[in-house]
Amino acid sequence: MSFRHETLPNGLEVIAEVSDSALSTSVGFFVNTGSRDESDPIWGVSHFLEHMVFKGTDSLSADEINRRFDDLGAAANAFTSEEDTVYYASVLPEHQRAATELIGRILRPALREEDFETEKLVILEEIQMYDDQPPFGADDVCRAAFFAGHPAARSVLGTLDSVRGITVEGMRDYHRRRYAPGNIVLAATGAVDFEDLLETAKRICGDWEPCPSEPRAFPRPPRTCGGGNEVIREQIVREAAALEYVIRFSAGPDGDDPDRYAAKWLAMMLGDESGSRFYWEFIDSGAADYASCHHQEFLDTGVFAVQLSSDAESIEEILERTEEILTDVTANGLTSAEMEQARSKLASRIVLSGERARRRLFGVGLEWAHARRYCSVADDLAVVEQLSGADLGRLAERWPLSGSHATVLAGPLESGSGVREPSATANSKPQ
Amino acid sequence: MKQTLLSATLDNGIVLLGEELPDLESVAVAFHVPAGGIHDGPGRCGLASLTSEMMLRGAGDRDSRQLVEDLALAGINWSNAVSTTHATYFGAMVARRLPEALPIYADILRRPALPEDQFESGQQVVLQGLAGTDDDPSHRTLLALKKLVFPSPWGLPSEGLISDVEKLTPAAVAEFARRHVRPDGMIVAAAGRLDWPDFVKQMQNLFADWQPGAAEAVHNGPRGGRSEHVTHDSQQTHIAIAWSVPPYRSDESYEATAALSVLGGGTSSRFFTEVRERRGLCYSVSAGYHTQRDFASAICYAGTSSDRAQQTLDVMLEEIERLPNSITDDELGRVKARAKSGLVMQQESSSARAGGIARQWYHLGHVRSLADELERLDRLSVESVRTWLEAHPPTDLSIVSLGRNPLEVPRELSA
Repeated sequence: MSFRHETLPNGLEVIAEVSDSALSTSVGFFVNTGSRDESDPIWGVSHFLEHMVFKGTDSLSADEINRRFDDLGAAANAFTSEEDTVYYASVLPEHQRAATELIGRILRPALREEDFETEKLVILEEIQMYDDQPPFGADDVCRAAFFAGHPAARSVLGTLDSVRGITVEGMRDYHRRRYAPGNIVLAATGAVDFEDLLETAKRICGDWEPCPSEPRAFPRPPRTCGGGNEVIREQIVREAAALEYVIRFSAGPDGDDPDRYAAKWLAMMLGDESGSRFYWEFIDSGAADYASCHHQEFLDTGVFAVQLSSDAESIEEILERTEEILTDVTANGLTSAEMEQARSKLASRIVLSGERARRRLFGVGLEWAHARRYCSVADDLAVVEQLSGADLGRLAERWPLSGSHATVLAGPLESGSGVREPSATANSKPQ
Repeated sequence: MKQTLLSATLDNGIVLLGEELPDLESVAVAFHVPAGGIHDGPGRCGLASLTSEMMLRGAGDRDSRQLVEDLALAGINWSNAVSTTHATYFGAMVARRLPEALPIYADILRRPALPEDQFESGQQVVLQGLAGTDDDPSHRTLLALKKLVFPSPWGLPSEGLISDVEKLTPAAVAEFARRHVRPDGMIVAAAGRLDWPDFVKQMQNLFADWQPGAAEAVHNGPRGGRSEHVTHDSQQTHIAIAWSVPPYRSDESYEATAALSVLGGGTSSRFFTEVRERRGLCYSVSAGYHTQRDFASAICYAGTSSDRAQQTLDVMLEEIERLPNSITDDELGRVKARAKSGLVMQQESSSARAGGIARQWYHLGHVRSLADELERLDRLSVESVRTWLEAHPPTDLSIVSLGRNPLEVPRELSA
């Protein structure tokens, strides 16, 4: 395994983790842009643009793009998050050049008005599809409530209204500002021919005009991330839903914080799908259908996200018990047996996901795009090996799980049934 | 590409399969037990699922908690699942931990505690899961379709039915485990950085003295009607269409799979192009191939907002009707490229290979080499796919919709 890195004169960076034993090659263009870079009139444009990129360039039609990806036998797709838009393909090594070329070319899309209007319909379908599914929008409402006033508050898809309001001119302008070469990393993992990758990048992307990169906004994190005991609670009523769904956010380390590894370890002890505190409390007994905890990191902030679902009658009791567990863990830590089990599981998952070029691509690419940092599988394992109770103690002090949090319920539970109103706060600090 | 496929059969009938992938650090092992949903029995839909849930609540000397903790300490990424035909106990781990893992699985399969005092909890787990799937409209649509397409018990949901699961008893679970969790008919597949002789030896020590049971015949009942609408309060309407195609073990399955891939496999497929790209009718639309050992089905799916659902169904039906006689060389070339690339990439995953070789053994009675599979793909021609489609055009379609309003289904299909 070796790591390679070059920067083109226009600022586009090319990186690769080269494996001698891999049978496939994954390539991805990581654009440093996402919903946090949007404003109200273009809310949802990052994700909409991701779709439009596949609708053709001045010389390639959408059908031709789709056919070419399939000709290469490529597992190709794209995704948009709060901070990233990623276009990727996994192919057999002999198709590395063609796949890189194709993705590179489509990143300069024609953005035709007619395609824009048709694709808008697909986006509106996607929004309705998610709205029909659990957790019925609770995740978006929780994000908005917890990060109020911060760019991370914006949902990636946008709303039906915001997407209807986006204009093709607004999208073209966003593309010009955000898809500058200095804002893009081309990453590859697996059986990579790095010289050829670099050559392809120069040929396809070398003439992209460098554009003075628009600095990303990093306003102060919201007050919920700054400690305290603020409690936000909101509720979405879906009468027809069979279960009640809950999302709860509290503050956690950001993507640049060394404690992010300990945060993932802690989340595993709390809410992994087997053997965790939540598992023994809620899942083993069948009290809840689902109970998990994950750590999600952003550039300048982070969250511990708890997700629960159960029948509506039991949800209040489960929520109460959840708060007790979080308070207990914050105050008393976890046992050494819990730590060792979680360490073994974490190490095993790092090894397993390291074996697939496609999975490695996202880890390697995002890490570089965010922090210009490369961590090999061995580096990650070494960190996990060193995690200790002292790390958990520090986490509890810096980001107490029992501190400020936002909880959103969605399901058949009637609004107001023992529930505080949306903006009510228990111990709110003055703003 | 060099490939090492291995197999052995213990005297009691357990089939051991292996694939050595020496470039990997991991190994995955899957125990496929012939204790799937088709054995639930009338009025007990979900018994296989509940039994599988109970099997992990303590085994041998380990109580429920110890069992889960031991799996975690060995770094085993484990899961269990119940399909129509099998209950599967799966684990992936760093290769050197396999010798620690196998005795745990031997306990689970041979010495499950099935503690009566945890029966209610286990039952609750299954019931909560069933309530959860009620909130997933696409899943519900496909379940309703399965019921129309396959004869009972094949068309019943292996995860169970709430009304049946509520009535199950600890005695029923114990009886089910005794009759169906047995060595004969069991397939154990391991793939990754595997030391095959050691694996076989350890499996022999752990399992060879387990006495075989007796296979039980499954009696097929009737299938459902032709079309159905499920009323559901949602913004989108979900559409699923199916018809019968040859099972995987038939030589014609390659032609059938290729035809379905042209119809709805990749982003250049007919469905994706006509339904999503040209008309913007939906976000997800696809066609796929679903096989049991003796029968198989083409299954098409789309989810779209209710006011455009009729148009979506009409376009899908047009594309299905147009499929015979229209497949081109280019389309087939793309199908082959995608299939080939998928086959090779599977070799990078111990989990995918452990699943793959077990599936092939169940369907074919042997494991096909990668070279053989690639050769079969190469042999496919437009001529062979067209000939097959002419002889087996999509007919006798079954259609399910789920949403606010029913759709208009062509008269010859509504029944």
